[in-house]
Amino acid sequence: MKTFSKYWSIFQITLINSLAYPGELVGRSLMIIPFMWIFYQLWKVTFSAAGADIINGLTLRDTLWYLMLAETIELGRPPIARTMSENVKDGSIAYILNKPYDFLLYQFSTAMGETIFRAILNAVFGGLTVLWLVGAPKHPEGFLIALPAIFGAWILHFCINAMIGLSAFVVEDVSAFTWIYQKLAFIFGGMLIPLDFYPQWLQTLAKFLPFSSAIYGPARLFVTPTAQFFINVMSLQLAWIFVLTFLLVVAYRRGLTQLTVNGG
Amino acid sequence: MTSIEVTNLQKTFQTKRKAAGLSGSMRALIKPEYSLIEAVHNLSFRMEAGELLGFIGPNGAGKSTTIKMLTGILHPSGGEAKVLGFIPWKERQKLAYHIGTVFGQRPQLWYHLPAMDTFILFGKIYELDDKETKKRIEYLTEAFEIKDLLDVPVRKLSLGQRMRCEVAASLLHRPKLLLLDEPSIGLDVVAKQHIRDAIKRMNQEEGVGVLLTSHDAGDLEAMCRRVIVVNHGQIVYEDKVSNLKRKFLTTKLVEVRYAEEVSKDYAIDGVEILKVGHYGVKLKFDTTKTSVDSVMSHLSGAGDIVDITISDPPLEEVIAKIYQEANG
Repeated sequence: MKTFSKYWSIFQITLINSLAYPGELVGRSLMIIPFMWIFYQLWKVTFSAAGADIINGLTLRDTLWYLMLAETIELGRPPIARTMSENVKDGSIAYILNKPYDFLLYQFSTAMGETIFRAILNAVFGGLTVLWLVGAPKHPEGFLIALPAIFGAWILHFCINAMIGLSAFVVEDVSAFTWIYQKLAFIFGGMLIPLDFYPQWLQTLAKFLPFSSAIYGPARLFVTPTAQFFINVMSLQLAWIFVLTFLLVVAYRRGLTQLTVNGG
Repeated sequence: MTSIEVTNLQKTFQTKRKAAGLSGSMRALIKPEYSLIEAVHNLSFRMEAGELLGFIGPNGAGKSTTIKMLTGILHPSGGEAKVLGFIPWKERQKLAYHIGTVFGQRPQLWYHLPAMDTFILFGKIYELDDKETKKRIEYLTEAFEIKDLLDVPVRKLSLGQRMRCEVAASLLHRPKLLLLDEPSIGLDVVAKQHIRDAIKRMNQEEGVGVLLTSHDAGDLEAMCRRVIVVNHGQIVYEDKVSNLKRKFLTTKLVEVRYAEEVSKDYAIDGVEILKVGHYGVKLKFDTTKTSVDSVMSHLSGAGDIVDITISDPPLEEVIAKIYQEANG
C-alpha cells in the first residue's frame, strides 16, 4: 500500500506542478484549434475531390473526430525522452536516482502527472472545434470505450520514449532519436492520415507496428467502438506493452552501469 | 561502528577528444579519439558513525564522483565500498532509506511548488506515517528556522533560504548519514553560518554522520573534526582539522593600529608587509623563521598600539600548501 501511495504522490505533485503556469498550459493546448481547422480544410477538399461521402469506411466527420483524438494523445504526452536527457546533461539525475523508489515507475508517475491536464485541455479545445466544424461524433460513447486504449497508448509512448531517454545515459543528447520517433509516429501511427487510407500493404505493416497501437488504435476505436475492434486494439496494444516494458527494463539495467553524471 | 568503508575505489571516465575549430570537429567525426580520465584513483578511507568528516580538494579532484559512487548513482571502475553495511551501487534503493544527500548546485525541492509539498512527498517516498512526517517537519522547521518559508514557492526563496530547506528536506527520514556536496556554494556569510549551525545541531542531537565536500575552508573549521584532502582522485592528506591547522598553518597575519601617526620602517627579516598606512600596518610572517616575540617588540617600539589583531590565514591557503607539497 505504501509503495502505491508513493507513486500516487509523485503523480499528484507533478499534476499540481503542471498547473504552476496555467497560461502556458492553456496557450499550448490552444494550438490544437488551428490544427483541426487545417485538417478540416484538407480532408474536405479530399472527400469532395474523390466525390465520395465514405472513403475506406470513414466519413469526413469520422476522420475529423479520429484526428482530434490522435492529436490529443500525441499533444498530451510529455517530452519524457528530452526531460530524461536534460536530467543527465544537467546532473539532476543524481537526485532522481538516489531516492528509494523504482526509477522507471517514478518517471512513469511524473509522465502521467504531466499528461492529464494537457490531454483534457486538448480534448476540450479540439473537441469543441471539431464539433463546430462537422457536428457531434457518430458514437459519443466511443470515447469511454476508447479510454483504456488511450491510457495504454500513453504507456506505449512512455516505454518507447523512456528507452530513447535512457540512451542519454550513454550519448547524453537524444534530440535526433526523438525526431526520428516523432516522424515514424506521424507516418505509421496515422497522425496526419488515418491508416485506412494507406495502400493495403502499408496498412498491414503499419497496423502491426507499435506506433499504430499508440495512436491509430485508440483513435479509430473512438469512431468505431465495436466489441470486436476493442478486443483487437487492446490485445495488440497489451502485447506491445509487454514486449516494450521488458525491453525498457533490460535497457535500464544496462544503462545504469554506463551512466556518467555531469557536473562537479 | 564504521559508516563508510572505502577500499581502493576507482572511477575512470572515457571522454571524447576534439581539436579546436571546424577541421577538428570533422576529424573527430571520422576518427574519434578518446582519452581516459581517472577521476578517482585507488581511494581508501573510513568514516565512523556520527563523525563529521570533511572531504576537500580543488575542482576536478574527484570529490563529487566519490560521493556519487557512495550513494550508488555511479558504478565504480574498480575497488570496494560499503556504506552503512550496503554496497551502494548494488543496493542503492535499500541504502537510500538511510542516507540523505544534498548536491549544493542542484535543487531537489520542486521548484514551482512550496517546499512543504516536497516535504510531504518525501514523507511518502520514504514511507513515513503522515503523523510522523508532520512531527518531523515541525522539528526540522524549528531547527533550520524555516517556518515562514515552507509555504512560499521555492523559486521565490533566496539561495540561502532554499539551501536551508534543501538540507532540512534531506533529513526528513532521519538518515544515519548525510552526504553534503558543496552545501555552502554561493551563500553569504550569514546563510553559511545558519546551515553550519543547523547541521552541527543535527549531528549532536541525532548522531547523524556528515560527509562534507566543500571549497570553503570555513565549512571545515566550523563543522568538521577530521579532514581528507584529495587531489587528482587520490588522498593527499588525512588528519584532524586541528592538526592540519598546526602543521600547515605556520604563518600569521598581524594588523596593528597606532594612536598617532607613525613613520617607521617596518621591514625586518622574514616579514612580508602587506599594507602600510599612516596609522598602522598589516603584515605576514612565518613563525618558523621569525619569532612572534621579535615581531611584536619591533611593532610596539614604533608607537602606542591601540588595536592589534593576530589571525591565521584562510584555510584555502593551507590547502594550497598541501597541494604544493603533494605535487612536489
